[in-house]
Amino acid sequence: MIAAAWLCLLAPLAGALAITFGGQRLSRRAAGWLSTASVFVAFGGAVVAFFAMVGRDTAAQRSELSTPFTWLSAGTFHVGMSILVDPVSIVMMLVVSGVGGLIVLYSIGYMEGEDEERRYFAYMAFFVFAMLLLVEGGNLLLLLAGWGLVGLASYLLIGFYHQRPEAVAAAKKAFIMNAIGDATMALGFFLLIAKTGTLSYGASFAAAPHLSSTTVNLVALGLLGGAVAKSAQLPLQTWLPDAMEGPTPVSALIHAATMVTAGVYLIVRTHPIFEQAHHVEDLAAGLGAATLVIAGLIALVQNDIKRVIAYSTMSQIGYMFLGAGLGAYANAMFHLVTHAFFKALLFLAAGVIIHHLAGEQDIRQMGGLKKFMPKTWLVFLVGSLSLVGVPPFSGFWSKDAIVATALARGGIYGWILFVAALFGALLTGIYTFRLFFRVFYGEPSALVLEHAGAAHGDHGHGTESATGHSEHAHGEAPQTMALPVAILAVLSTVGGLLQVAGAWHPFGRWIAQTGAPLVEPTTSQDWIVSVITVAIGLTGSWVAWAIYRTGRLAVPSAPGLQRLFEHKFYFDELYDAVVSRPAQLVASRLRTDFEGPYVEGSLVEIGHAGGDAGGLVARLQTGRLRVYAFAIAASLVVLGIVFLAVR
Amino acid sequence: MMGPSVPWYLFVAGALFGIGTLGVLLRRSPLIVLLSLEIMLNGSNLALVTFSRHFGTVDGQVFAIAVMAVAASEVCVGLGLIVAVARKKLALDVDLFSELRG
Repeated sequence: MIAAAWLCLLAPLAGALAITFGGQRLSRRAAGWLSTASVFVAFGGAVVAFFAMVGRDTAAQRSELSTPFTWLSAGTFHVGMSILVDPVSIVMMLVVSGVGGLIVLYSIGYMEGEDEERRYFAYMAFFVFAMLLLVEGGNLLLLLAGWGLVGLASYLLIGFYHQRPEAVAAAKKAFIMNAIGDATMALGFFLLIAKTGTLSYGASFAAAPHLSSTTVNLVALGLLGGAVAKSAQLPLQTWLPDAMEGPTPVSALIHAATMVTAGVYLIVRTHPIFEQAHHVEDLAAGLGAATLVIAGLIALVQNDIKRVIAYSTMSQIGYMFLGAGLGAYANAMFHLVTHAFFKALLFLAAGVIIHHLAGEQDIRQMGGLKKFMPKTWLVFLVGSLSLVGVPPFSGFWSKDAIVATALARGGIYGWILFVAALFGALLTGIYTFRLFFRVFYGEPSALVLEHAGAAHGDHGHGTESATGHSEHAHGEAPQTMALPVAILAVLSTVGGLLQVAGAWHPFGRWIAQTGAPLVEPTTSQDWIVSVITVAIGLTGSWVAWAIYRTGRLAVPSAPGLQRLFEHKFYFDELYDAVVSRPAQLVASRLRTDFEGPYVEGSLVEIGHAGGDAGGLVARLQTGRLRVYAFAIAASLVVLGIVFLAVR
Repeated sequence: MMGPSVPWYLFVAGALFGIGTLGVLLRRSPLIVLLSLEIMLNGSNLALVTFSRHFGTVDGQVFAIAVMAVAASEVCVGLGLIVAVARKKLALDVDLFSELRG
């Protein structure tokens, strides 16, 4: 089991290194296949480890820590280069390497003709390695290392189109926002080291109940800060929509399926610490609920196909935070898994459309695509139904479980969270099907007719790639793109059967071996919530249908609200005003009032002083022989007097 | 051995050295400066010979001969330079020879 897990971790790293050092000796195509193969090898390793784990009986046997060597030693503080394979990490390994492999395969078709394909595939393999390090890391420090490395991979891939200033700006924004989270996490770890002297999971979790409540709250807050930044939750959410500047498969892999869900994994992984800090747990649930509503509202008015899906990702991760914050770890992880399937599916299907329409991402330019892309229509429908939570698609099973948990928590706070989750479900129905009807129904626009109508002609993909040009003359997408989408569509359809509320709980029991749920809805709560949620989701879909398909309803006119949503609740403006502008002001004032006169000025002054001193000394050198002779004679006399006096 | 005692000799040697030093420092004519230098050397020679006689060794006298040789060659070079300067019709004033001050 452990050997397979190590293979799983190191295969993508080997792939990334091989592509990097292979350089020009590898053909572009070979780089793509090498990257894909390395990730699928990782998936194979994860599958082998999974079956080995299934073969073991008790939870204790299923959790195995492997430490080949000590990584860091400082006095009594030791950190091993260790990996931990247990029921939670194996789920993450399967999702990361499985969905990752499909998306890298898809990239071979999507990125064909790009200038820097090799760099792209090396980054992708590197990302999968970093993500696997994050989920397999056997102690908090390795988790933080993986945490930082996925941030780096995300930065590199968002800024992949480095010719475009927006992409570079988005990459920097993502990096800086994530750095805030990394910093709070590191501070939490420092505190943990100071108080417990260890960062290993077992020892620090065992020590958590004995810590003072202040300490444990601060540590949990630090961890939550990291989780919030990485998972794009309020208040550090603004980077995710901008991250859509990256290539679409990157959005699917990093900014939908895997990296952004790392925050949920973190909460589940460190749940013994969070369980000691109830207020921080409630805060996590509350932030999740707030994010799922706000992101849903913003998604209503976005016009970029990828941004709509990005906001829906934020919203769905809000559900996961809600679940994890309430202590329903299995439900949160379950939604993480199904979300990885259907959101990757939606992104990849959107990628097919974007690819087909020469890089156009504005849904106002689309319409009537159903006629031209029937297969894409079908998979997009599967993804949308799954996202809205219509049975039997996977999103139904997982989302309802979380909403039911909110109900089961009870109390006023539980009811608030419950209502927020239901409201989120309504919004999900509306924005998802708004997107769906806008893209696939209605009159085809001129752009659609030009590209999709001439599906048998040549077309390059325009704005995304500066010089890209490909000739896949048949069908809606090349094989390498169609196959992963089809597999993900199947997974989105049946993936929810991992767990059926009230009847069948293999997934819940599996995760409970690592973290037992704090709150568990009763069967009747489960069923009631299922009915309500589906009804609400379908209502939302009906509203979208009535507005965007039949035109029976008009969009309610509320210019103030619309402006609020379009400006994303003014978060960017707020941060600009509160953080960015004061910082710039202080910097420029320091530049003019301190650095100019004191730092630079003092250097000039020192130079002048040296010159002046040199001038003084130079005046001693007169060239007059008699002066020199006098100096010699006088100094001899002085020396003589000193000599006599000292004697 | 009769005659004045050692301090007297040393007094004369010091006086010669001081007179020479003042000549070097105060006079401007290179010829006089050269002469004053010779006086200083002779003062030191006298001290050397005095000590040689006082201690009954010949080292000091040998050294005095070496100093005379050096003084002679120095005068050769110095006078040569002075003649060269005079040939150029430049003023014979050591204070004006200051082009090499850099």
